[in-house]
Amino acid sequence: MIYIIDHQDSFTHNVVHQFENFDDVVCTNFNEINENKLKKADIIVFSPGPGAPKDYPVSSQIYKKYKGNKKIIGICLGFQQILHCENGKIIEQKKIYHGFQSKIKVTSKNSLFKKNHQFTVGRYHSLKLKEPFAAKNFEITMRCAISNTAMTIENNKEKVYGFQFHPESFLTENGNLLIKKILSA
Amino acid sequence: MNKKNYLLNLNNSKKPFIIYKSDKGFDLYTDFSKKIILNNKNIEKFINTKTRLKSTGKETDLFIGFFGYEILNNLINVKIKKQQTTNFPKGIFYKPETKIKFSNNLEYKKTRLSNPGNLFKININKKSYKIIFDKFKKKIKSGETYQIKICTKYSNKSEIDALDFFSRLVKSNMAPEAFMIKDKDYSIISCSPENLITKKNNFITTKPIAGTLKKNKKLNKNKALTFFRKNLKETKEHNMIVDMERNDLSKICRPGSVRILKKKIVEEYRDLYHYVSLIGGQLKNKVTSLDIIKAMMPGGSVIGCPKISTLNLLNKQEKENRNIYTGSFGYLKFNGDMRFNIIIRSILNFKDKSEISVASGVVIDSNAVHEFNENYIKAKSLMDLYK
Repeated sequence: MIYIIDHQDSFTHNVVHQFENFDDVVCTNFNEINENKLKKADIIVFSPGPGAPKDYPVSSQIYKKYKGNKKIIGICLGFQQILHCENGKIIEQKKIYHGFQSKIKVTSKNSLFKKNHQFTVGRYHSLKLKEPFAAKNFEITMRCAISNTAMTIENNKEKVYGFQFHPESFLTENGNLLIKKILSA
Repeated sequence: MNKKNYLLNLNNSKKPFIIYKSDKGFDLYTDFSKKIILNNKNIEKFINTKTRLKSTGKETDLFIGFFGYEILNNLINVKIKKQQTTNFPKGIFYKPETKIKFSNNLEYKKTRLSNPGNLFKININKKSYKIIFDKFKKKIKSGETYQIKICTKYSNKSEIDALDFFSRLVKSNMAPEAFMIKDKDYSIISCSPENLITKKNNFITTKPIAGTLKKNKKLNKNKALTFFRKNLKETKEHNMIVDMERNDLSKICRPGSVRILKKKIVEEYRDLYHYVSLIGGQLKNKVTSLDIIKAMMPGGSVIGCPKISTLNLLNKQEKENRNIYTGSFGYLKFNGDMRFNIIIRSILNFKDKSEISVASGVVIDSNAVHEFNENYIKAKSLMDLYK
C-alpha cells in the first residue's frame, strides 16, 4: 500500500490517480495523518503543495522516522521536503516555472534511467535546490536541459527518490513509466 | 397564447422565473412550488436529499438555482472572515412546475419603465489594485500560489428590467451557459461561457476556459489557435487549469478514467474565441452529489491555483462579499444528473443596487495596469446595458 501525504495541493489527486494504476493508495491531509495506516504502508509519497518545506514540520518528522525503512518518494514540494531534511537549502529562483513544459536530461550513470536520455516534463515550481548540494547516498540524476536546475534525486541505497517536476501532469510524457520504474526499484 | 406574449405577460406579472441556455435555444422555468434559501446549516442536506427524490419522469423533476461563493467556501471548510455584506442570500434553489422551450431569439421589447441608474463606482482603484497585485506577485515568488485572480466590483443604484437586459445581452453575446433569474427582490443576468459540471449517469465532464480573444476581421479560428499556442503566458495559465481540473475530477472518478477529451482547442462564439479543454471521467460507485459539488466547487479556473491556499489568500484580502460571483448556477435533477456553470460575466441586482464583479489573473509574468484594464473591459460590456 502507498500512503500519499497531501500538502493541500490542487495536483495531489492527479498523483493519487497515477499511483492507483500500480497499488492501493491511501491519501490524507498532512495534518490528519493516520499513524496506523502510515505504519503499514510500503511506500510514502510526499505530495506537491504551496509554500516551502519549513511550513510542513510534520512531514519532515515523518521523513526522518521512516527513511531507510520504507521507500520514500517526493514530488515538487515533496522533493524539496526531502532535500530540506538532508540539509539542502531551498531558495527562490529568478525565473519561475508554473505550467511550464521543458526538457530534462539524465546526467548520472548511477540513475535508474539511461544516461543522456531526455524527458519532456511539466513543471510548477517557484523554489529550487541551492547548489552545491551533497548528502550521503544521494545523487542528483536529472537536470533541466537549459538551466541545469536539479530535477531528480535518487538514493538507491535507502530507496529515496524525488522529482522537482510533476510526473502526474499531462505535460509530462511517459510519466507512468517513470513512476513504474521507481516503484519497482 | 404564443410564446412571445407568454414571456411578455410573465415578465409583467410578479411571478419569478428562470431562463437557462439550452443546446438549441433557451429553457424557461417557472411556477415554482418550492423556494429553498440556503445557509451553511441546510446546504448539505439539501444537496443530498434533493437528488434522491423519486423521479416522476417529468422534465421539471429538478431543483434549479445557484450557490454563492461564500457558501461554497464554507462547504470545503475554507473560512471567510467578516466582510461587508448586503445580506443577499448565500444560495437559492427553486422547484419548477413548468418548463417551456424557446428559440435563441427571445424577441422581447421593453414595456416597463426602469431606471438604469447612475454611474458605476469601483471598489478598488488602480492604485490599490497595484498594491494588491504586487503583494500577490510576492506570494507567487515564494510559492504560496501559482496563479491568483483579483476580483474588482463595480456597483450602482438602479432599477432594471432583467428580461430586457438579458435579451439584449444574449443578442450581443450568446454564451453557452447564459442564464437569468427574476424574483421579487432580486434579479441575476449572466452570459457565463463556462460549464463546470455536466453529469449524466456516471459520466462527468468539466470544460475550463483559459484564454479569450475578441474577434476582428483579420482573425479566424486557425489564427486564434496560433495566437494562443504562441502566447506563453496564456499557455501556462491554461496548462495549470487543465491539471487542476484533472485533479478535482480524480477525487471522485475511478482510477485511470480521467481523460482530457479535448485538449486546448479554440471554440468560436459570435464575438469571441475561447481557448478551452474538455476533461471527463467515470464516477466512482459510491460518490454522492455532495461529493461532486465539494470536489469541483468553487470552480478553479476563476480562482487560481492551488485552490485552497489561493482561496485563503483571496479571502484574507477581500473586504466585500462576492455574493454570486464565482459561485455556480445550474440544476440538480431528481435522478442525480446535474449541470452547473461558473457565475462570471454577471449582474446581480438586489434591492435596487446593481453589482458587476470581474477578475483577472496574476501569474508571474502579468502586468498590473494591463490586468486592471482587462477587468474594466470585461465589466464594460455589462455596464453598456445600462445606457
